[in-house]
Amino acid sequence: MKLLDMTRKYGNATYEYPFAPYDVADGFRGKPEYDYDKCIGCTACGVACPSNAINVELNEAKDKLVWKFDCGRCIYCGRCDEVCPTNAVMLGSNFETAVRFNKEDLTESAELELECCQNCGKKFTTKRLIAYCIENFKKVGWSESVIQEKTKYIKTCPVCKKADSVELVSKHFSKGVKK
Amino acid sequence: MSKTYVVPTEISELNRVEDKLELLKDIKRSFSVYRIDCGSCNGCEIEIFASITPMWDPERFGFKLVANPRHADILLCTGPVTRQMYYPLLRAYEAAPDPKIVVGYGACGSTGGIFHDCYSTWGGVDKVIPVDVWIPGCPPHPASTIYGLATAIGILDQKLKKVEHKDGSNEAPVIEKSVFGNTLFEREVMERARVMMGYLHGRELHKVFTKAVSSIKDIYNPVSSKKSLLEVIKKEEDPRFRECMMILHNDVYLKHLKRFKNIDKCNPAICFTKEEMELAYD
Repeated sequence: MKLLDMTRKYGNATYEYPFAPYDVADGFRGKPEYDYDKCIGCTACGVACPSNAINVELNEAKDKLVWKFDCGRCIYCGRCDEVCPTNAVMLGSNFETAVRFNKEDLTESAELELECCQNCGKKFTTKRLIAYCIENFKKVGWSESVIQEKTKYIKTCPVCKKADSVELVSKHFSKGVKK
Repeated sequence: MSKTYVVPTEISELNRVEDKLELLKDIKRSFSVYRIDCGSCNGCEIEIFASITPMWDPERFGFKLVANPRHADILLCTGPVTRQMYYPLLRAYEAAPDPKIVVGYGACGSTGGIFHDCYSTWGGVDKVIPVDVWIPGCPPHPASTIYGLATAIGILDQKLKKVEHKDGSNEAPVIEKSVFGNTLFEREVMERARVMMGYLHGRELHKVFTKAVSSIKDIYNPVSSKKSLLEVIKKEEDPRFRECMMILHNDVYLKHLKRFKNIDKCNPAICFTKEEMELAYD
């Protein structure tokens, strides 16, 4: 009888879940929620992900950047959330991630279009990333002429940038070199 | 590692999806769950035992942990299947009565998780034996476990679906306008906030602080902006946020204001003094 009194005192300890929704704690790290409209394809999340749950790579035709996420591999560390410059990946509160019979349901993918280098014409980064950079330049308060100069610079691929700077440096040095 | 184990025909013939669904429909008793540790770090085990406590009580749905695979209907496999646990896993799989439901539990059990390309593991239970249900998580929350097991027996419906985003616009996401007309101010606030409070609370602090700053009428007047910020700080409940907002005002706001005006940073009328900062914790 004493035991029954004690149980009455403390009530029912069992959570109602799954018959009632379960409220997760504050700061709970659930499934990363991806916002396609905010993603600029900077690949920071792919670099940061310790378990390679997020992979960012070119598709087979090499004309689009593909952001891939495999929820089964995710360890919910939140590093993608930490590094994302536009908050496109944020850890949500979804813990109901189990799937039955089809493992493909755990995956998520997104395609982003690529920009060509203005010198060599090779594809090197996403169009959105360049648009985001230019947008940022405008908000920093630079004048139009400076922005145009910088835009030229960011629309060049790293290989061409390297070649350009080597050319510039060699031009400078040729004055002092004996021929 | 290459696949060497082929499921014997007498087992695979009895383990088709229809057979499993029929078992779930016709079963008139509890579901016995046998847990196989295939080289797990024990995090998943702890969560499994957390989810069989009265707090979550899976026996409401008839789940019962058993100590022998010969009694089991559901095999709960944790861990990325290390070399050493390969044969024990196969022995348990073959010993379990047909049809059996195999659950890959945790990030390691479902895909290999952080060990997916490790030399000494198989990278997931489904590389070795056919798996029916995947419960991701590292480790899965007891609620995820309950949900996954309920999905396995068909009480609940699966919520995740494969998502493919395509053909979005090439426009940049919206960047909010800066109060100083220079987003470097917002960027520095974010940077300092993250250094002080980490990415999660830093983001919150950045939001609160920029909201407070943007509500100031005359941003170029440090005396009045200090006063209005103080009002916001008094309303703030968390003392950590109170102190950090004062630091942000002293270090970032006044630094950026200096480019427009000649001000003395140590003037107690415009900056928060040490005494005021200590009051944040009262």
